[in-house]
Amino acid sequence: MKKVYKVAGFDFAIIMPDDERAWGTMQNYEPFVTEDTGNYIFTAELVDAMPDTTGKQLVVASNMRADMPRAEMYDWDGKWLFEFAPTMEAPVRVIMLTDKEFTYMKFRVLGGWRFSSDIVMKMMFACATTHRNTLMMHASVTMHKGKGYLFLGVSGTGKSTHSQLWINNIEGCELLNDDHPALKVEDNGEVRVYGTPWSGKTSCYRNIDVPVGAIVDLHQAKKNEIRRLSLPEAYAVIFVSFAGLRFLKEQADGYHTTNAKVVGSVPCYRLDCLPDADAAWLCHNTVTQ
Amino acid sequence: MKTRKGYTLRSLGKEFILVADGFEAVDFSRMISLNETAAFLWKEVEDKDFDADMLTTLLTDNYDIDRETAQNDVTAMLKSWAEAGIIED
Repeated sequence: MKKVYKVAGFDFAIIMPDDERAWGTMQNYEPFVTEDTGNYIFTAELVDAMPDTTGKQLVVASNMRADMPRAEMYDWDGKWLFEFAPTMEAPVRVIMLTDKEFTYMKFRVLGGWRFSSDIVMKMMFACATTHRNTLMMHASVTMHKGKGYLFLGVSGTGKSTHSQLWINNIEGCELLNDDHPALKVEDNGEVRVYGTPWSGKTSCYRNIDVPVGAIVDLHQAKKNEIRRLSLPEAYAVIFVSFAGLRFLKEQADGYHTTNAKVVGSVPCYRLDCLPDADAAWLCHNTVTQ
Repeated sequence: MKTRKGYTLRSLGKEFILVADGFEAVDFSRMISLNETAAFLWKEVEDKDFDADMLTTLLTDNYDIDRETAQNDVTAMLKSWAEAGIIED
């Protein structure tokens, strides 16, 4: 059985057996189901065996923190092979093998369905859209008066908390996505933010998009302060919050082009803040002007 | 001296940044911003052997600037480039 999904205007297909129980765990994809026009940026196919990849060459191992997912990436016979685990100590839960253009991926799940399907689809989506004017970001997004405000920051900074502070204190705010929204520069130059099936711990899988009002890089501090970022600073904060593979040369040009267009038209700020209502108001009053 | 390999100069309109290619690019401290003049000099000497005199001459040949001012600018710039780790001996 094949299902087709549209995220940020891009269609992708997932192929799994009809009776695969996994379909039932993928409720977060349901709002994005679309008509099958046969035109996909990538196809993902569930398999129950992987080719023998003995002698594969490690390209990069990534684990930023003990409680964050671990990824290993190998170069195998002209393809990328990824192994993912939910934490540093956990066993590998999913293996995926993709061509280097990220158009066709096979994945084998060893355990933990929800983690496994999300991490491989996120990776494929991020890498297949980087050269299509789109950046999958690590951010929480709140909407206010028809615009989206992206809150960035390293894990644990309080991105979700800041979104909640807007929602609880400022009338007319709604959450768009709490973890991995897609930032897209449209053909007419407008920068929009799209909901995706990937929203972290918060169930917020909204198939909607709005123009971006501002991007705010959050830092924990003892008092609330906000300032506008220069172009290079804005570029840098978007660079670190990009959820794709920054280090792949094949991705770098597309990545740069989109980032440069974003910082050229969207105001970016740095907010040093406490987790309080004053921080939300200071931020709101500055960035919605 | 030489420019360190593995950096790509990227334009943000009138401002420029040097971004480290490859795996180390994850480190955001390895991104250096350059103004238009510094970016011009970087492009001229990238992957070549160069010294302060060459940069000074490039400045006086291409900009309306006297040699002494150019020398001072180049000295300051090379110091910041060395601190940023984007050049090597």
